[in-house]
Amino acid sequence: MDRSQSALHTVSLDVGYASTVVTGIDIAVEPGRICTLIGPNGAGKSTILKTVARRLVPKGGTVYVGKDELSSLKASDLARTMALLTTERADPELMTCADVVALGRYPHTGRLGLLTDADWRAMDEAMALVGVADLAERQFSQLSDGQRQRVLFARAICQEPHVLVLDEPTSYLDIHHKLEFVRTLRRLARERSVAVLMSLHELELVRYASDLVVCVARGRIDRVAPPNEVFCDGYVRTLYGVDDDLFDELYPGLDRPYDQRPSQSPSQPPACDGHDERYVRSGQQRLRRGMTTGTCAALATAGATRLLLTGRAPQTMELVTPKGVTVTADLEFATLGDNVATCGIRKDAGDDPDVTNGIVVVANVSRAEQGITIEGGDGVGRVTKPGLDQPVGAAAINRVPRQMIEEQARAVATELGYAGGLTVTIEVPGGKELANRTFNPQLGVVGGISILGTTGIEEPMSEQALVDTIEVELRQQRALGATRVVLLPGNYAEEFVRTALPELANIPQVKFSNYLGDALDTCVEQGFTEVLVVGHIGKLVKLAGGIMNTHSKVADCRMELMCAHAAICGASQDLCSSLLQCATTDAALDLLRDAGLTDEVMRCLIAAMQRHLDLRTQGSLRVGAVVFSNQHGLLGETPTARTMLQGLA
Amino acid sequence: MSRSARCAWGFASLALLVFALLVLNLVVGSSSVPPAEALRIVASGPDATGSIASQVIWGIRLPRLCAAALLGGMLSVAGFMLQTFFANPIAGPYVLGISSGAKLVVALTLVWSLSNGVALGSIALIAAAFVGAMASMGFVLAVASRVRNPSALIVCGVMIGYVCSAATDLVVAFADDANIVNLHSWSQGSFSGMDWHGVATAAVVATAAMVAAILLCKPMGAYQLGETYAASVGVNVRRFRILLVLLSSLLAACVTALAGPISFVGIAVPQLVKGLFGTAKPLVIVPGAFLGGAAFCLLCDLIARMAFSPTELGISTVTAIFGAPVVLWMLIARQRRRAVPRG
Repeated sequence: MDRSQSALHTVSLDVGYASTVVTGIDIAVEPGRICTLIGPNGAGKSTILKTVARRLVPKGGTVYVGKDELSSLKASDLARTMALLTTERADPELMTCADVVALGRYPHTGRLGLLTDADWRAMDEAMALVGVADLAERQFSQLSDGQRQRVLFARAICQEPHVLVLDEPTSYLDIHHKLEFVRTLRRLARERSVAVLMSLHELELVRYASDLVVCVARGRIDRVAPPNEVFCDGYVRTLYGVDDDLFDELYPGLDRPYDQRPSQSPSQPPACDGHDERYVRSGQQRLRRGMTTGTCAALATAGATRLLLTGRAPQTMELVTPKGVTVTADLEFATLGDNVATCGIRKDAGDDPDVTNGIVVVANVSRAEQGITIEGGDGVGRVTKPGLDQPVGAAAINRVPRQMIEEQARAVATELGYAGGLTVTIEVPGGKELANRTFNPQLGVVGGISILGTTGIEEPMSEQALVDTIEVELRQQRALGATRVVLLPGNYAEEFVRTALPELANIPQVKFSNYLGDALDTCVEQGFTEVLVVGHIGKLVKLAGGIMNTHSKVADCRMELMCAHAAICGASQDLCSSLLQCATTDAALDLLRDAGLTDEVMRCLIAAMQRHLDLRTQGSLRVGAVVFSNQHGLLGETPTARTMLQGLA
Repeated sequence: MSRSARCAWGFASLALLVFALLVLNLVVGSSSVPPAEALRIVASGPDATGSIASQVIWGIRLPRLCAAALLGGMLSVAGFMLQTFFANPIAGPYVLGISSGAKLVVALTLVWSLSNGVALGSIALIAAAFVGAMASMGFVLAVASRVRNPSALIVCGVMIGYVCSAATDLVVAFADDANIVNLHSWSQGSFSGMDWHGVATAAVVATAAMVAAILLCKPMGAYQLGETYAASVGVNVRRFRILLVLLSSLLAACVTALAGPISFVGIAVPQLVKGLFGTAKPLVIVPGAFLGGAAFCLLCDLIARMAFSPTELGISTVTAIFGAPVVLWMLIARQRRRAVPRG
């Protein structure tokens, strides 16, 4: 076993009280990794942890913290390296939670233990991390056991250790806080490169949280392996000596690796499966969510910023996307140069791979005077035509990814107390060649791919799966009693409805992605009476031509339709040929506005949309459309839509 | 009210109280010296001509009130340290038998020195008291390491107290010196007959001990959360425990050597001060307890002198009357707080 990298390791360690309890312990925990001890009651897990934390003297062998022997360390040096959380009850009188958390700062404060602003920052951050910020001024002795446990955990976190030793840290926590706990622990381990050694009884959590599982039984270490090699072949049953049907019933699949777990029964409504956020359900399929290039760029930025400011690179990065989903990824590489740190994240697009799957998004971060500047480097496209998310000349990094990158950089800088500015340059090696296989050249983005993603996660969009999902959602809404529904292509439209059409707030919304025709058919079939389609002109203009699947690989014709309707409304030949040259509908609208034709052309287009909507639904329901653009706002609505909206107002 | 504001108010009111009681102790007494006159005498310094009033003020009242303030402060700081050490709110030098142990050895030393005609200074008496205090403390610690039960600890301390007191009474009863009267009143605890030499000794010990106590505040704060957690944040528990025992024994020994055993100050005052400040932070409570102990002993000594003037009461008689109810109230309040249902 290579121990040169480990934050904590033991060599032939024997532990016990009067008599020896466990012998021959060889464990190594690397920075950023979580190692969990499991085994039956009385196996000696706590004894091992106590010995590692120097509460007990080893019966034999040695414990090393980093390169130092545990026994050679001074109490204060050990405290700066290792923090401890045990099940031992603490019941101090007249101590507020802040007082208790402040003890974590003990190794960092001066002779009298007075707290500086930096100490308070570390405490506030730790309390926020475990969700006890609102308890700060409460008396510790009046809290529930679970709350106390979390306050004590915050104390251990703000001690800023390299090694965290936890003895049954979840024992007083409810299920919600158990989950929060393992999530926080993983983040802590990855982002701050903390090595964690703990004991845990909840095997489900062990499997989720651990990088390495150490099985203690019958006075020795029975197995040291990654979770998948422990939770298989009935090993857990042997370890704990259970031979019981009840075990299978209560913990289905604990004896099998993750991917072999029993599937959900098909009768279960698929749309209800929201508990595992790494997956989305679509029809009977479970699709793995991936990350967008924007998320990769933001993660790489966070890693590089931390490396730049601390000199230590985290192992794994984690962020919460704008949609509230937690995304985790390992750093592909990390290098620290002269005032520039570089990290890369490999994009995992999930179960809907596109051309960008597997690319590495690289962030270079360097110190600057002030503010956070985001630049595009090699392989990131540059905007050359108007009407896109970014102005002409800017790097093709869209608004939401820019926000995510800036947020990550700022969060790390704030956490580390760095007040200066940062320059972030995003690169995509090989992005230039890759871009030719995307729509970027047509859109007017040259020299590389775009850094995209409004939600931060790539929702899998396998075609049939998507249509199924839309159908399920509509069916569900109908089953819940809805007779009216708003159909939206995606996030832009959702945002538009939220801000510009508040009267629609009470009507259920279903996203149709590109499958407008299928969505309308389902609405008819399910017996909806009123349907309102709200969409960006770039999508809905296709409707004016009767194109019911708005995906650009099915048909484009956007400019052709704009041009044809403009021509009817009296546009010159010059204008018509300019329109055909436009990259985006927003650019086309600019031309129409300059020619004073916007209203007329829109009326004409919208009439055509209404016609095609009625044609598709055959008068079975009332259907209307509202069209907008990101730059021009509300462009118009069909007559039916107008009456529907008036009815709501 | 913010915590720092509460702290400032707490210290201000304690300081004011100590000052007011100092003045009151100065001007009130069986020999009537008008207040204005008393203050004038203090301001003008010791009078070489030796007027009666000046002798009363400079020879009797000033050393006595200085001693009451210093020793009261030391006693209550010792109490706070022992409470932290044993994680037990009713631990204190008197309850744990430390004062009684000190008393016994001092009594033995005194009787020996009187019968042999050797004059002993206050330093020698403090040393004797320290030996006695450490002997009792050693016994209590030996019990504490075997019995985890906090009430057993207190019972053990009380028993040591009884044994030592009985032994002291025996020694006093068989001592055949004329000074027996003094010895008797000392063994009951009293600030009477305090001289400047004693005050100077107390001031030196108090200053040194307070500096040490302030420096121990940081580990004491950590120790309040329990030994394991204190060790895990970097307290050298072994060394800390030894220092705490030595320091609190020294404080209790010094008080006992100079004024005899004084009950309840060590328990009641830290408790009242914690209530006043709403915290148990050592950095606040150590100086707070010192001021509080000074005020408490000044008040009790005033009552001891004046209540049945010209007969003086033993100081412990008065401190018990005020201190015991505080301890009882505290026990009941704690019980009630524990009964709060937990979510």
